Formats: sequence, C-alpha cells, structure tokens
Amino acid sequence: MEHLYLTVIFLFTLFFLLGSGLWIGLALIGVAYVGIEIFTARPAGDAMITTIWTTSSSWSLTALPLFIWMGEILYRTKLSEDLFKGLSPWMNNLPGRLLHTNIVGCTFFAAVSGSSAATLTTVGKMSIPELRKRGYPENMTIGTLAGSATLGLMIPPSLTLIVYGVTINESIVQLFMAGIFPGIVLAFLFMGYVGIWATFNKDKMPPKDPQINLIDKIKSSRFLIPIFSLIIFVIGSMYMGWTTPTEAASFGVIGGLVLAALQGSLTMKTFLASLMGATKTSCMIAFILAGGAFLTMSMGFTGLPRSIAEWIASIGLSNLQLLLCLMIFYIVLGCFLDGISSIVLTMAVVEPMIRDAGINVIWFGIYLTVLVEMAQITPPVGFNLFVLQGMTKHEMYFLAKSALPMFLVMVVMIFIMIAFPELATYLPSTVRSAGAG
Amino acid sequence: MEQKFFLLRSFLDKLYLYAVYIAAFALLMILLIIVYNMVARWTGNTAVGATAYAGYAMATSAFFAMAYTLNQDGHIRVKMLLSKLGKYRKWGERWCYGMGSLISIYYFYYAARGAHFSYILNDISQQDDAWPMWIPQMAMVIGTLILAIAFVDRLYQVIFFDYDELEKKWEVKDEKAIEDITSSTESHKERMEN
Repeated sequence: MEHLYLTVIFLFTLFFLLGSGLWIGLALIGVAYVGIEIFTARPAGDAMITTIWTTSSSWSLTALPLFIWMGEILYRTKLSEDLFKGLSPWMNNLPGRLLHTNIVGCTFFAAVSGSSAATLTTVGKMSIPELRKRGYPENMTIGTLAGSATLGLMIPPSLTLIVYGVTINESIVQLFMAGIFPGIVLAFLFMGYVGIWATFNKDKMPPKDPQINLIDKIKSSRFLIPIFSLIIFVIGSMYMGWTTPTEAASFGVIGGLVLAALQGSLTMKTFLASLMGATKTSCMIAFILAGGAFLTMSMGFTGLPRSIAEWIASIGLSNLQLLLCLMIFYIVLGCFLDGISSIVLTMAVVEPMIRDAGINVIWFGIYLTVLVEMAQITPPVGFNLFVLQGMTKHEMYFLAKSALPMFLVMVVMIFIMIAFPELATYLPSTVRSAGAG
Repeated sequence: MEQKFFLLRSFLDKLYLYAVYIAAFALLMILLIIVYNMVARWTGNTAVGATAYAGYAMATSAFFAMAYTLNQDGHIRVKMLLSKLGKYRKWGERWCYGMGSLISIYYFYYAARGAHFSYILNDISQQDDAWPMWIPQMAMVIGTLILAIAFVDRLYQVIFFDYDELEKKWEVKDEKAIEDITSSTESHKERMEN
C-alpha cells in the first residue's frame, strides 16, 4: 500500500471522530471529507450532496420507514399478551418449559418487526413479569430473551438486511428470503440449548403450570391467528413476487392498523405515537446511510478498498480463513458499534473483498447478520443489554453473563452457516422474480 | 432581554417540533403514495412517477426529522468514552456539538448550493415524474438548515449553561412528542381564552 501514511491519518480520523462521541452519520461525513481532501484534488462538497440526495430519496429505501412503522404499531397492541397466552400452553411440556415462550415469541414477533430492540421490549414486557412470578431462574429468562430478540434482525422484515441491501445494491427480497431458514435454525438452536440446560438443572426449574386439554390450548391460541395471517401475507406476497418490499410493508402497516383497531387498542394517541416513533427511527437510520453513502464514494476515490482487496488476495487467504478473520473483526467492532453502523461503515471495503473472493453476497448478508446479532449482546456496547438494563435494572455484568451462552450458540450458528451455505441460498433461488427489487 | 431569550427558546423548540410533524406527515404520504400506486396498477392504470414521489417523501421525512431526533437523543453515537470523562464531560460535549455544528453547516451549505445549481441548470428528474429537481431538494436544504440551527443552539447551551442542569433538561422522556402535541394544544387553547 503506497499511501500508508495517508491511510494512517484517515483511520485515525475515523476512530477519533467515532470514539469521541460524534453522531455516527456526521462522523462518517467528516471522515469521508478528510478522505477526499487528503487523497484527491476533487471538490468534496458537491459530490457529497449528489450522493447523499440519491441515497436518501431512493425508492428501495422507502421500505425501511414502513416496516419500522408496522413494528411500532404492533408494539402498541395487545400482541405481547396474546403471544404469551397463546404460546405458553404449548411450551409447558418441553424441557425448559415457559423459557421457550421467550424464544418462540421473539421468533414470531421478529417476523413482523425488523428491529431487535422492538422485539425485545414487546416480548419482554409480558414474559419477564410472568416468568418471574412463576420462579424461573432470572439469568435464563434474561439470557434467552436477550439472545432470541436478535432474531428480529434476521427473520424478515429486517432493517439490517434492508440497510445491507441498499448499501451494496442487492435485492432486498432475496436477502429477506435468505434470512428465513437460518433464522428458524437459530431459534431451534436456542431452544435446544434451553432444553439441554433444563435437563441438567432440574432443581433450578420451577414446577409446571397446570395442564390444560387440547381444546383449551387451541382456544388460547386463537388470538394468534390474525398475526399469523399478517406474517404469512406480508412475507408470502414478497416471495410470490406479487409485491415489492415497500408494497409488502405498506400492507403490513395497514394490516397492523386493522389488527390494532379490532383489538380496540388503536386510538389517536397510539397512532400518532407509532408514527412519531417510526419517523424518528427511520430518520436515525437514513442519517447513517447518508453519511455512509458519502464515505463509500470517498473511499472509492481514494482507491483504498481496491488496494486492501488486492492485498488480501496477495496473501492468499482461503475463503474460510477470510470469513473467520471477518468474524473476529466484526465481533470486535460490534463491541463498540451497533450493527447498522458497522455494516454501513465497513461495506465500502468489505464488499469488493467478498466479491473478489467469489463469496455469494446474499449469503454473506445473512452471515453478517448473525455477527451483528452477536454485537447486540456483547458489552460494553450491546443494544439489547442496554434495553434490558432499562427494563430490569440489573447490572450490566449480570446481563452480559446471562447472555453469554446465547452468544456461544450464535458462534455455533456461524459455523453451521459456513458448513451449509444452502440454508441461506436455497430459498432466494426459488423466488418468483417479478417483484424482486 | 430575558423576555427575548424566552421567545427565542420557544420559537426554536416549536421549529423542531413542527419540522418533525412535517416529517411524520411525509412518512404517512409514503404509505398513501404506495397504496395509490398499487390501486392504480390493479385497476389497469399507471400512477406516473409514484416511485419518484415516494422517494421524495422519504427524503422529506428523513431531513425534516433530523433536528428533533437529535434533541431526542435518537441519533446513535458512541458514548463510551464520553461517559468516562466525569467532570470533564462538558468539554467532551462541547467538542461534539462544536464539530456537529461545523459539519452540519457544511452539510447545509452544500445542500443549498446543490439545489441552487439544480435550479439554474434547470435540472429535471430522470424518473417519469419529470419534476425540476430543486423542488424536492428543498426538503434537504430546509432540513439540514434546521439541523444546523439545532446544533448551534445546543453548542451555545453547553458553552454558556451549567452542564449538569442541561443533562437533566435534555433527558428524554418516552413518547414526549405526543405530550408535546397535547400540551401545546392545551396551552394554545389557554392563550386563546385569555
């Protein structure tokens, strides 16, 4: 690398601006500006604004606020109550009993919400008090919740995958479909862990809930029918190619509103609160994406990604070694940055690397999502841990320790992904192409 | 003088709040545009330029919400080192808001310049809406202006006021915007009655 000196200045600026607490969108703009100024003679500002405008007004980005809004609406319904009531009779006989309601509940809510924090709060606000009341070990309650809430990032709709797709210009439908099987497998891994733990720690488990017969079980689950229909319709319509992601998201919003209205939890106040929440969250992500788009352009000017990709190629890493290096890199990065920021920040460099190595970018998106999920539960900066701290008032150390087994389960998932790439690549290959985009 | 400060304060707070209302409305518009587009497709018509309009609404929503999201602590930042600064925290915040002001003014300047060039060069959208580009770009210009104002506003406060008090004042309460809506209509009513 001939520009070693300049590269060091560039990286220093990056770490300094991010580390000193600057808002990430702005820090990215600052770094990109420095990059253009030190590496090229081009005027930075005009190029910046063209790129930022193109990104922020792009059609594929419009799926983002709508999916966020859908999650916000459902968060304000009685869904968390329904999920717990509907699922707990079925989980009662599994080893690990009602701890599984956390995992299965998160898996279902993940299918209507694209964010991990929203999944966590929705499922947790019901299951934490209920499980405590029954005397389940606190560290298991917290751990399973923290871990399985990250499925919100993998199971479609997923904000992380939208951001990834927009950043590297790949089909969001393909990415969504790729996330389904790995998400389900990960959920089963979590359940498997809970089952094994409970078998070996029978003394720590509270007694079973009273048994109810099949008819009552089915009756208590009837509240889940509307939400199932919504999930199947939203994901199915994308899979069948009837709708684009944005259109599916708008169905999701309307469906969510209808559901809320039927339950009687739709008031002007909740409607405005959901709209306002969605506006704020999508603004936050759009801000990072805008900065990221400028950074990607700036990096392109500097030629850094190219030389790094060539450098990687020259040391002759195998794909497996490359993936493992990236795994460690993203886990470390994830200790300090949230998932969306770390994707946006690194894609300019990582994308050419991946494409050069001939790794399937759709598969890599899911691989990256597992890594980002791990970042959600690693201290010192793990967003799920922050959210849980707010909800339960536990020490950070206790929360991180409770979530550690889930982290290890995700490491297993990483290797499963590498061993069986078809998990992620099969479903996208069968999508009807009409609505892709 | 006190009176003037108070007026300025309430003007700025309203500015951020009304901007986010516009942003929320734009988000609602995305939904409506997309539904309109689908209905048009089912009935065999075409909604000309719908994808472009949805994109403009997206940009409008994002840019108009920026200042409010900043004040609500909604933009992600790495606070790890900042929170370790202890009593020097205010210097850290001064640096952040200072840099923030600088970059956001730069951002606004080039947004305005970009829209100005679109205007004088008569730049037309490449999509089938065929709008002059400066019109939707005004959302970016105004949004970044309000963001820059919000940054300078906060920079001024972290320099001239006691940081501990500011921290309390800036603490975010959930669903604040809704309270703001109700309280602002209530105070508005009161003023009308008096």
